[in-house]
Amino acid sequence: MKTFIILLQKEFRESWRSFKFLWMPLLFILLGITDPLTNYYMEDILNAVGNMPDGFSLSLPDFVPIDILMASTGQFQSIGLIVFVITIAGMINRERQNGTATLIYVRPISFFALFMSKWVVGSLLGILSVSLGYAGSMYYTAILYGSVDTMSFIQMVMSYCVWIVFATAVALMFSAIFKTAFATTFTIIVIPFGVMIDSLIGQYWHFSPWKLANYSVQLLSDTHNEYYIKTLLLTIILLILAIIIGILFTRKNAGTTKI
Amino acid sequence: MIDINWALVAPLLVIQFILFIVALIDLIRIHETNGPKWVWAIVIIFLNTIGPICYFIFGRKTS
Repeated sequence: MKTFIILLQKEFRESWRSFKFLWMPLLFILLGITDPLTNYYMEDILNAVGNMPDGFSLSLPDFVPIDILMASTGQFQSIGLIVFVITIAGMINRERQNGTATLIYVRPISFFALFMSKWVVGSLLGILSVSLGYAGSMYYTAILYGSVDTMSFIQMVMSYCVWIVFATAVALMFSAIFKTAFATTFTIIVIPFGVMIDSLIGQYWHFSPWKLANYSVQLLSDTHNEYYIKTLLLTIILLILAIIIGILFTRKNAGTTKI
Repeated sequence: MIDINWALVAPLLVIQFILFIVALIDLIRIHETNGPKWVWAIVIIFLNTIGPICYFIFGRKTS
């Protein structure tokens, strides 16, 4: 327990010194507030830069708050997720490569504590970023379009956080298994591309972790989704599995560290 | 010129400005980067928002 707290402090200090806790939330806030704003000013933007022919008219749909939050989620799921996952995927193997890990591995530490400290910091970073991003998106949506039910909004954000925590665990797992470039590639294929593939051909199955983000936005609408609970449970099971595999491989690959 | 509601757009500009300043200060203070420093300076200054974030992901050398 003591080593865990010390490793946690070390991870926090490192994340703080590399400004992760500053720019990641800022990025998510930016992504969150861009969509309400651009949709609101769409007509002006088209007039200013669009080079529209005379008499051209375009009727824009009337957005309801849930559409905007859906669009923001889409932003988080593409750009935000890629950036987040790349950052997390280097946490374990970069230490192995530049030799920092040697200093840690020679001490009698438990690999459980090592992996968990990284996972906790990564998850906190993700949860903080996503919550602030959604808060920004919701703030603008409430000003420009109208409000949504507070309780279901909180529920949606928490359920999206489960997805981010899952993404962190998977990224760390790959980080423990492979070297830097491979880990990044595999993580990008599994997480952001998985989301894309799931949205393309996902109508053939009803629950997979990649659907969790969409299902959580659906919590805002009144329609009841019977698959939501199952998806959530499946995600949590896979999350625990990813953590276990990650810990095993952190121990197994401890010898590959550069001295 | 369309009149812009500055109260709405200001936070966006503030966030971009914070990212820009923090990245630039860090670039000046850091010992070594991946690739030449002046290239990163150009990237941070001329690429809005994406520049500083790219610098934080790829540019910083952690050792």
